[in-house]
Amino acid sequence: MKKMYVLIGNYGSGKTELALNFAIKAAERGERTELLDLDMVNTYFRLTERGKMTRMKEIRLVSPNFACSGIETLSVPAEVASAFAMDWDTVVFDVGGDPTGANALGRYYQDFMALEEGALEVLNVVNTRRPLAGTVEKIVKLQQDMERYSRLKITGMINNTNLSTATSEADLRDGYEIIKQVSIETGKPVLYTSGKKEFLDKFLAEGHDPKYIGTPIAIDTYMQRDWDSWIDGLQ
Amino acid sequence: MALTLMKGSEAIAEAAIRNGARFFFGYPITPQTEIPEYMSARMPEIGGCYLQAESEVSAINMVYGAASTGARVITSSSSPGVSLKQEGISYCAGARLPCVILNVMRGGPGLGSIQASQGDYFQAVKGGGNGDYHLLTYAPASIQEAINIFSFAFDKAEKYRIPVLFLADGIMCQMMEPVEMPEMIDFKIDPEAKPWATTGFKPGDDPAKRAIINSLFINTEELTEHNNLLQATYREIEANEVMYETYLTEDADIVITAFGTVARIAKSAVNELRAQGIKAGLFRPITVWPFPYKELAEVTKNAKAVLDVEANEGQMLQDVKLAINGVLPVDYFGHCGSLMPTTAEIVAKVLEMKEGI
Repeated sequence: MKKMYVLIGNYGSGKTELALNFAIKAAERGERTELLDLDMVNTYFRLTERGKMTRMKEIRLVSPNFACSGIETLSVPAEVASAFAMDWDTVVFDVGGDPTGANALGRYYQDFMALEEGALEVLNVVNTRRPLAGTVEKIVKLQQDMERYSRLKITGMINNTNLSTATSEADLRDGYEIIKQVSIETGKPVLYTSGKKEFLDKFLAEGHDPKYIGTPIAIDTYMQRDWDSWIDGLQ
Repeated sequence: MALTLMKGSEAIAEAAIRNGARFFFGYPITPQTEIPEYMSARMPEIGGCYLQAESEVSAINMVYGAASTGARVITSSSSPGVSLKQEGISYCAGARLPCVILNVMRGGPGLGSIQASQGDYFQAVKGGGNGDYHLLTYAPASIQEAINIFSFAFDKAEKYRIPVLFLADGIMCQMMEPVEMPEMIDFKIDPEAKPWATTGFKPGDDPAKRAIINSLFINTEELTEHNNLLQATYREIEANEVMYETYLTEDADIVITAFGTVARIAKSAVNELRAQGIKAGLFRPITVWPFPYKELAEVTKNAKAVLDVEANEGQMLQDVKLAINGVLPVDYFGHCGSLMPTTAEIVAKVLEMKEGI
């Protein structure tokens, strides 16, 4: 059965990095994989910049029209239809941040509804270290708004709490506590917890309730840049 | 206080607010539109004023107006928008108005591209608008550094009565980094501390003490006197406000000069070169006006060569050459099409230079 993952979430929650991880892991399992860059909001640090890498992994990448990193007006290409029409094992949608970004999904409502039951996972990627997703109330509100804008029901959450280069297991733990509350309040399950392997392992060893962890995913970082290793040095 | 993961735009906007900015006037332009977007939501929450002007020309003149009252005011734009603001910036400099202006540089000339660039260095430090003036210009290389600079940017602007310019590139505003935010300061306009500001003229007040904000001096003697005062202020700033960072320069044979995001890449290159046994170091101006001429000359006195790396045609290169004053060979590497130099390219360039030393 075709499995379709739609990654939505607060701006800066790590959707693009996770989308690449989902797609690469699927491709490495030998699955026919399509990855769609549906980010209509952001013009920097886009999935499309990793086009060559995805091709090498035999992942089909669908980018916005004329997309390269330098384009200002983005539009959804007709090619998105291939996600629904063609015979893939795994399809991953990387969607723009916030309700505004999730808006781009609304146009495919009928296509999503026509999928087999159980084929679609709409995942809310949560990073509680982002100021606008830092509390239970904020996450619940974002979740409701994203559902309204995308015309899709969120099927579960991903705890992807991180501080970029300053991440530790404490971030996953703090995210776990907040997301657990969101899950209790909204009934949305926590389907995945993701992070770099070293922090994920430490977090898992702490013995939290597996119900609010879901499947752990050790992620690799593909969106790393030349300037990321720099340590702040203001005298 | 806990670290949060913030986008440069959001963090810069919040840092300005926490340091007393209560007026934002601007116009959207990529890659800094998230600053006005953030301000539009945040200013009403704290009793401030966000106003999207009909153009950058209006926005900078609104800055002139708000700054005249002694309030803390900020505007932001990107390269083409900052070009439009130049007339107003020159007026602010002429009228000695403290304010903060952000230029989040993108590719140029003209509309260029929306990707990051450092092509406005000349505009920032060699003029921009008309007349003999300078802006106290900071080129932060991380989001935290931008936040930290904000903790004194308004103070410096007010101390010297000068517009402060933040010269950042698109990456600085678009990337996300873990940051720590300062507490909100309690800023109030103090008419005693700012006798020059138009804080209100009451019946019975001495007309001679009426505050007049002006950059027009028809009488040439008066204009000369006014300009002498400006120049004296600039000399004071040059003497006191230079900021820079050095990294592994003590024993460096080759010192790389770079600012902003490019300096971060250069730092990675230095690490890689050191790992190969090559003595490379980095000199990073944090103030690009005043430029750390003396400091760069001092730092490079035992070096064999200097490599300037920029995301432009080599604009800061001219200041680097002035600092080195012909004592050492100064080479340049960079791109001027919004393409960031890479660590590998810088390493390759240094290895090539090493052959010639």
